[in-house]
Amino acid sequence: MILTRNRLGLFRFVLYGHAVLVMAFLLLPIIFIALLSFGSSRWMMFPPPEWTLRWYEELATDPRWAEAMWLSLRLALIVTVLSVLLGGAAAFALVRGRFAGRRVLKAFFVAPMIVPVVIVAIALYAFSLKVGLNGTFAGFVAGHLIIAVPFSVICISNSLRGFDPALEQAAAICGAGRLETLRRVTIPSIAPGLLAAAVFSFLASWDEVVVSIFMASPQLQTLPVRMWTSLRSDLTPVIAAASTLLVLASLILMALLGLSATRAGRSKMQ
Amino acid sequence: MKMDTPLPAVRLMDLHKRYGDFAAVDGVSLDVRKGEFLTFLGSSGSGKTTTLNMIAGFDDPTSGQILLNGGAVTGLPPQKRNIGMVFQRYTLFPHMTVAENVGFPLSVRRLSKDEVNSRVLDALRLVQLDRFAGRRPSQLSGGQQQRVALARALVYEPQLLLMDEPLGALDKKLREEIQIEIRKLHHRLGVTILYVTHDQEEALRMSDRIAVFEHGRIVQVGSGEDLYHCPATAFVAGFIGNSNFLRGSVAERRSDAAIVKLGENSAVCVPVDAVGGVGSEVRIMIRPEEIKLSHALSDAAGAVIPVTVRERIFLGDTISYEVATRDGQSVLVREDRARNQGRCVGPGTDAYMHIAINQNRVYKKY
Repeated sequence: MILTRNRLGLFRFVLYGHAVLVMAFLLLPIIFIALLSFGSSRWMMFPPPEWTLRWYEELATDPRWAEAMWLSLRLALIVTVLSVLLGGAAAFALVRGRFAGRRVLKAFFVAPMIVPVVIVAIALYAFSLKVGLNGTFAGFVAGHLIIAVPFSVICISNSLRGFDPALEQAAAICGAGRLETLRRVTIPSIAPGLLAAAVFSFLASWDEVVVSIFMASPQLQTLPVRMWTSLRSDLTPVIAAASTLLVLASLILMALLGLSATRAGRSKMQ
Repeated sequence: MKMDTPLPAVRLMDLHKRYGDFAAVDGVSLDVRKGEFLTFLGSSGSGKTTTLNMIAGFDDPTSGQILLNGGAVTGLPPQKRNIGMVFQRYTLFPHMTVAENVGFPLSVRRLSKDEVNSRVLDALRLVQLDRFAGRRPSQLSGGQQQRVALARALVYEPQLLLMDEPLGALDKKLREEIQIEIRKLHHRLGVTILYVTHDQEEALRMSDRIAVFEHGRIVQVGSGEDLYHCPATAFVAGFIGNSNFLRGSVAERRSDAAIVKLGENSAVCVPVDAVGGVGSEVRIMIRPEEIKLSHALSDAAGAVIPVTVRERIFLGDTISYEVATRDGQSVLVREDRARNQGRCVGPGTDAYMHIAINQNRVYKKY
């Protein structure tokens, strides 16, 4: 290696400083919001004059916030299940299938990650107005699926590509039928990919704002939409509390994923 | 059917497999006896693995029939054929322990836990890996993994065991060790084994009979000795053992023999049935160890061809020569050191090569 730490001399302190600045840039806003959510000032003064949990209390008791959280959670869970099922089926076709237009189809499945979200949202809005999906739970599910499925397709395709189909032949010759082979051999072998697909799908729905804003009605608002609307009408520290909860949920899921990845890595090392 | 002829374990009847215009398997018919160790030998693309896959049920034949113990299995999925198989690649299930892998076919058959455990242990003892029952496949060496795969293929006592180049990924020493182990298991269990390899030495070492594949067909079936001594075609002769081919053309046909000219100055007599018309090409196959070199013409039966010795290599128990005929064909000769003693045919000297022409080794074309 050319750029070893020892050869850098004093310049390495410049690099350390740079790294610290980048981290601060990424983390400070989140830490700032988390601190504010525990501050007693209604106008979010910093530093907070006193510490309190009342904004969390309000978040839990105000029915508008509680409903929004409950909706976001239900939505994210259903989107997760559907995304893994649909994305998994698509991944099998893309990895195992030998048909014309396979590459085009693959690009098509990943397209929602590349097309600007606002365009997806507008298109979906126009379409759902026509078919009456607008402002319905099903409309939310459909909209979030478009965002989530590409994650599933990519994660599950990757782990399927690393799975030797000869293992399925071995299971078959051992006497296992198709379903038993799928259940006992294929799915456990691609479990890390399935878990990653589930986590990313959940987060894609849980954090989603743009599509949700178009899809929302006054009665049906996800947590990010609720935050967005209340940010415009009444600036309250409850938003900070909600943000902190969102971040916490994401952190827990990413930690889970990291844990399973290191475990999978360790069992491969042995 | 007569009562005293037992049903063949496997009967292949005019098996074909086509991919578009390409015939991967082009009319294979074969009976495999119960308890036999039969090897499919051929280079890659010769149709041996495709044939094995059709027996396993992974591929459907385009036409033809496969009978296992007299019953047609064409169209039956692999899981209903009750066949054991060891693959070329390591196909242990990575998320299961060794014991769970070996127990998999038993749990699929819904055997009780106790029975599964005791039979798994027996199978692992068979391949001397019972100490590794709790390990993951990734913690085993390649040779150990293939032995576990062998235990998994034998644990449900299938009547037929298919092996698709199972030792291809292992180094030479380990390969020979496991070859002997498989051979012993075969004697002990009496299971019918169909073994695929491209390694002629492996085929000779292990098999009761060998079926040589070329271009999707079986060109010859027989014991290793049959194939070595009486190869049906020049291809078989070249594939099994070391061989020399002398090129020549038919100069004269008489009622009892034909004269084949090898270049300008030498000619040999061959059986007339083995060659075509005057002027046609002929190949004569001679094993290196069947050639005698000497400085003097002897009156032994057979043909004598003058040669020049190009190289002499001392190999301990044998001495190997490379000699050239007058028309420049290179021939490999191997002599026992004991037989050779006292005589020294050095490089650069002229000598005579004494050969016995065997009717079975004269081919009209390569």
